[in-house]
Amino acid sequence: MLKTVAAGFVFLGGFAIMVLEIAGARYLTKDFGGSFYIWISQIGVILIALALGYAIGGALADHFKRAAFLAPLLAVAGLFTMLIPNFTPPLLQAIVMRHPLDREISALWQKLDPALGSTLVFFLPCFVLAILSPYMIRLAARRLEQVGTISGLIYACSTVGSIAGVFVSGYVLIDFMGLSAIFRATGALILVLAVVSLLMDRWMGNSVEPLKS
Amino acid sequence: MKRICMKVALLLVALLGGIGRPHAAVVFEAHSPYHHVQVIDDGGIRLLSFNGTQETRMSLANPLLGHFEYTEFFHAPWVWNPEIKRVLMLGLGGGSIQRAYQHYYTNVMIESVEVDPVVIKVANEYFQVRETPTHKIHQHDGRTFLQRGRETYDVILVDAYTRSRYGSSIPPHLVTREFFAQASARLGTNGVLAYNVIGQLQGGRADIIGALYRTMKEVFPQVYLFPASSSLNVVIIATKSPVPYDYARVQREGRELIRSGKVKLPTFATRLRAFQNVTPRNASVSPVLTDDRAPVESLMRGTGFSD
Repeated sequence: MLKTVAAGFVFLGGFAIMVLEIAGARYLTKDFGGSFYIWISQIGVILIALALGYAIGGALADHFKRAAFLAPLLAVAGLFTMLIPNFTPPLLQAIVMRHPLDREISALWQKLDPALGSTLVFFLPCFVLAILSPYMIRLAARRLEQVGTISGLIYACSTVGSIAGVFVSGYVLIDFMGLSAIFRATGALILVLAVVSLLMDRWMGNSVEPLKS
Repeated sequence: MKRICMKVALLLVALLGGIGRPHAAVVFEAHSPYHHVQVIDDGGIRLLSFNGTQETRMSLANPLLGHFEYTEFFHAPWVWNPEIKRVLMLGLGGGSIQRAYQHYYTNVMIESVEVDPVVIKVANEYFQVRETPTHKIHQHDGRTFLQRGRETYDVILVDAYTRSRYGSSIPPHLVTREFFAQASARLGTNGVLAYNVIGQLQGGRADIIGALYRTMKEVFPQVYLFPASSSLNVVIIATKSPVPYDYARVQREGRELIRSGKVKLPTFATRLRAFQNVTPRNASVSPVLTDDRAPVESLMRGTGFSD
């Protein structure tokens, strides 16, 4: 049961990450243009967020061992995501307009500005969502000889969620929904995960013990 | 001896060129961040190809000939503004329009905006598109350029869609109400916008042409269509002037431009006969495109969803 809940949890986390990456690429286009570098920055910045989230999330899991710890992080990430359409447009404008208007933007900044934009808008929620995978591995693993199986399951479910996120957002959401609606829905999904983490905590209590071999 | 050597060399070139494709030779090829760019010489015609489809055609004997028919609709803005001085063109490609404007309207200042540096280089080296005192090229995204600039233009021409074997695609940030509002802000009081797109003019399904027509109508008081006869291209013209022009008025203004010598394009009168001032049938079922929602991928594949 615990394994199933953890797997579903990281599935939804992985889904949200890729919806943010794909819808985000379209979102940044109005400010940075239809440039190739939008994709470079979306992919690169989100991978940085994942790497940091994995590393820090793993350490936090060993230290706190409670699912409730995730709730405030997810609440912040969820609210942040819901409000992307409200607070990010002036920030992105500031990145573009900080260059003198009478001169062309240098080739270097044409490449790096979209990465600044990606970082500002998408780093935080993706970082928090990346924490979920190592955290769930720690919560769901009971015995040392299961760690391989559990971590494999968690990796796989998170990745399958991401795959779904890519295709659903690219093939369906972009056609049917506006970008602000997509961000609001994704933010709401992350808030749901925050609530689920509280429920998990109540259900598991203090049952995360030191791993036994 | 020298002559024989030349002849042998020419023969060899002809033979080698003929092995793959008869009469066609790839004279330049590169992968840019945006396209697989090829320049192909084929039977006296030079082609610019992006991802295997033709973007520009130019006669090698006379670079003012060989171009696609739709590019001549970009001369139509003269009908609405006979005093054009400054033109902004988003999308360079092989520069058919720039070449024609430089040739026919020597007093007009042109600025071109092209995002792909490889395309700028190829246009210069293979399609005789030069930076001159009256033609400036900016390597920039079209929308960011509009947003950051201050100067106003009499005409803005947009030719930014690309094609591949899987159909056409158009940059989603260059189709929205917000984009047209930015373009309108950069046009003078009598400004004219001309926009090339490929799609269905008839038919009841949501389509990019219906969507663009509706979207442009939200920003510009008058919107007209120039469908090409030899392809599915349609050039949509939008004017800041609220005065409606009908078919007779357009032909009359056209004759006057030819008579006064302001427009010397030989096919001008013929092209103006493509003028239509009717709302496309699919406009009512196509969405207004916004930065928030611009599903261009499905609209360009005939699988668009109604509003």
